Amino acid sequence: MAEMTFYSGFVIPFIVGTSVLFAVILYKYMRWMVRLPREDKRLVRRGVFSRATAEAIWESVAECLLHRRIWKVNPLLGYMHTAFALGWFLLIVVGWAETAAYLGGRLVPLQGHIFFKYFTTSLDHAPRWGVDFEAVMDLLLLYVLSGLALALFKRIRSRALGMRRTTRLTFGDRVALTSLWFVFPMRLLAESATSGIYGSGGFLTGSLGGALVSTMPAASMASFETAAWWGYSVALGVFFVSMPFSRYMHIFTEVPLIFLRRWGLRSGETEKSFDHFQIEACSRCGVCIDPCQMQRDAGVTNVQAAYFIRDRRYGKLTREVADNCLMCGRCEGRCPVGIGVNALRLNSRHSLNGTPADGRYDYVKGLDTSTGSRVFEGAGCEIGYSMKQGRVGFYAGCMTLLSPRILKAMEVIFAAAGEDVWWADRNGGVCCGRPLKLSGDVEAARDMMRFNEGLFRRHGITVLVTSCPICLRVFREDYALEGIEVLHHSEYFERLLSEGRIALSASDDGGLLAYHDPCELGRGCGIYNAPRNLLHAVADLVEPTETRENALCCGSSIANIHLPGAGQLAIGRAVGSAFEATGATEIVTACPLCKKALTRGTDLPVSDLAEVVERHLKVAR
Amino acid sequence: MKRVIVIGGGPAGMQAAVALKAAGLEPVIVERSDALGGKLRDWHNLFPSATPAREVLDGLRKAVEMARVEVLLHTEVEGLTPDGSKPSVEVALAGGHAVQLSGGRKLEAAAVVVASGFDVFDASLKEEYGYRIYDNVFTTVDVERMLNEGGVALADGSAPRRVAFVHCVGSRDEKVNQKHCSKVCCVTAVKQAMEMRALFPEADIYNFYMDIRMFGPGYEELYQRAQQESRVNFIRGRVSEASPTIDGRIQIKAEDTLVGRPMKMSVDMLVLAVGMKAGSSCEKFARTADAALSPNGFLAPADLFSGCVASGVPGVFYAGAATAPKTIGESLAEGSMAACWVVEYLDTLAK
Repeated sequence: MAEMTFYSGFVIPFIVGTSVLFAVILYKYMRWMVRLPREDKRLVRRGVFSRATAEAIWESVAECLLHRRIWKVNPLLGYMHTAFALGWFLLIVVGWAETAAYLGGRLVPLQGHIFFKYFTTSLDHAPRWGVDFEAVMDLLLLYVLSGLALALFKRIRSRALGMRRTTRLTFGDRVALTSLWFVFPMRLLAESATSGIYGSGGFLTGSLGGALVSTMPAASMASFETAAWWGYSVALGVFFVSMPFSRYMHIFTEVPLIFLRRWGLRSGETEKSFDHFQIEACSRCGVCIDPCQMQRDAGVTNVQAAYFIRDRRYGKLTREVADNCLMCGRCEGRCPVGIGVNALRLNSRHSLNGTPADGRYDYVKGLDTSTGSRVFEGAGCEIGYSMKQGRVGFYAGCMTLLSPRILKAMEVIFAAAGEDVWWADRNGGVCCGRPLKLSGDVEAARDMMRFNEGLFRRHGITVLVTSCPICLRVFREDYALEGIEVLHHSEYFERLLSEGRIALSASDDGGLLAYHDPCELGRGCGIYNAPRNLLHAVADLVEPTETRENALCCGSSIANIHLPGAGQLAIGRAVGSAFEATGATEIVTACPLCKKALTRGTDLPVSDLAEVVERHLKVAR
Repeated sequence: MKRVIVIGGGPAGMQAAVALKAAGLEPVIVERSDALGGKLRDWHNLFPSATPAREVLDGLRKAVEMARVEVLLHTEVEGLTPDGSKPSVEVALAGGHAVQLSGGRKLEAAAVVVASGFDVFDASLKEEYGYRIYDNVFTTVDVERMLNEGGVALADGSAPRRVAFVHCVGSRDEKVNQKHCSKVCCVTAVKQAMEMRALFPEADIYNFYMDIRMFGPGYEELYQRAQQESRVNFIRGRVSEASPTIDGRIQIKAEDTLVGRPMKMSVDMLVLAVGMKAGSSCEKFARTADAALSPNGFLAPADLFSGCVASGVPGVFYAGAATAPKTIGESLAEGSMAACWVVEYLDTLAK
């Protein structure tokens, strides 16, 4: 066997590229890890030797190599991603095995593995370990090339791969993408040229090499071979250098993200180091673009999750891009990487919000108009409030207060159930805090929350009912309400019904109801069935094409603090026509804000669930 | 053919028909309801002079009668089909009364004047004001009706001790798709506030406004008199919500933007100064005649200055509140003007 040097001039671009890639990635990851806040580091330490790590390994294989979630979006799109990821991964792994099989345990430099065919022309390539490595490697190369063919096809007709719109690319993305597309065709040409000259190669490289030799004079064949290997190495080098600065950074970053997420790390109210892992794990695949109603109905095309994350990553985020989003969560649910984009957007808003207005909401402290006074109770001289304990509290929230039909319905239903209710809004309750939180003013939001918590406790309620899903979500996610059960009015009505405290009569007017899932109630709190169960009890129910987890946003979400009325209306109308298409005679929703938004989006009557329940109350009691 | 179809039998349509007849043409008024007069029938006294609406209406009716204008009541226009020099309208029977036209019939004419008017904004869309939810929330249209029926009173028949008017309900409000100013509601609310003062000398009367727009002759003077003689209080601020109090009154929340403070007030009667919305048939007419609509849904005149009664479609003309909110006086003027344009148009065709 001739001595193999594993060196030729063309390996330089590859070596440089690889070095830059690993240096940059290592620098980034080290920096982000070191800067993790203390509690996140504790989560990491606790997580490393737990079941979560095993689960993370499996998830990494399933998502980073097999791309399971993308297969669910569209099988062709899934095939394309898997062909690149799994195909390339196997080319590397089988390549290493091939080296080991033919060269034994000796140390082979990196370029020796990558350019194996070029450096091992003196070898006998007969199968080793019972494996025809040349055929297997050719098969894998063909697999990757089939993915590349689909990627090219997707540029022309993205619809065939289940995407109406694809992401607009940055300059770095273009460089990386172009070099990536050259990598595998160049590899095919280079390996075929060498195989042709030396009479080796598998079914693909061997036959293509043979064809090349038969059509080209021997002298030009030699320079063609050198040129092809140079091309392959340059393509790899350019791709590796551009990778950490382009969307392809996701290839590596998704793996640490999966581990950190499994160990319990999440993005929070304020920006922190963990956010980098989420941001750079975004491949800008564009799956988030099609479901976005801002794009499809309001004509806003620069704020979608992929663009928001891109702008934030490159330090170009503007308030407009951060603010102009409904935060409906339709994109988040479809993200193949599972990036928590709403949390990122919120903490961006917090950062862009500037200095919070200290003391702006100090006046809330004077709003508790509780009639109860501090008295000495019992012989033990215990100080307490003389207010009734264990009542049901009702929190209407600003949007219900602006929808008196809902309020009136609640009063009637409470009376029918014989419930002794404490009305939060009439007794000093302030804003739930979610609007402030959604605008990025988390400090002021916290003031509101702490005030309401104190108020609820002082009045000794044990159940808190709200007719507003926006309030419901913040009560469940951000309030410390141990000992107080928080219910949406739909859940409360269901309970009243099952306990026999109210009875409903079905209507016989032939009306057909369609239920609109509010974002904050459905995707936000996971409540889909309670309202439907109640509606089923009184009338026939139809569903629009996009419903439940995929339900459309009404367009007037308070989370969007930028979109002008015309855009809200355009979205509202689109939702309205989706409901009109069902043939429903009435739209029912369970959110006062959705009700307002839909009322102006359609000519169909729109009601809140409470109004429908009130209408069908049996007054036999 | 001398026939000219006038769509709508309100002030603008009646005026146009009378003028057309005087010019020797054969106008036909197609009216969807059971009588001529349009919304003028529901008004009590007209601003700023307190002229009884009936006086104006009777004058118009008499003129139509004297001119022997053909009138088709209970007849709805389904669409306009301008066909070169001979436009026609598709008409359908609205009520099923004994009118000689049957559904889907085509009526041909030399020209068409669209005087289909406006719709009153549905105040129940501003749910936060509690219209049709609380007993004592009314619209300015309800007040006109009550005045015509002989008296304003609360639901229980008693006299209000405090009345508040809310301006711009369904006007200048993006939240209900009504961006435009309806212009007549300010002066209507001022007029009604003064009428309330006359009825209830001891009551407190408030007007909550964004801007007071007194654009017409005598309007500003009326506004001054409302403050000085009728002791009407004007508060600059938009009412945000209305809720019931335990004693059956209505509590309103607003911000006094001149003082810069939020305020609450309990009132016995809340009157919503409802705006003018584009007529529901505007869209249908624009679509079938291939004419333009304004962004606010009213028909768009060919030119705001020199062609305010022209549609841009040959043989089709506009008059009155079909193109924008207008006063009775303005509608009447446009009725005459549209007739002039029809005559001129037919003369040009004949040459």
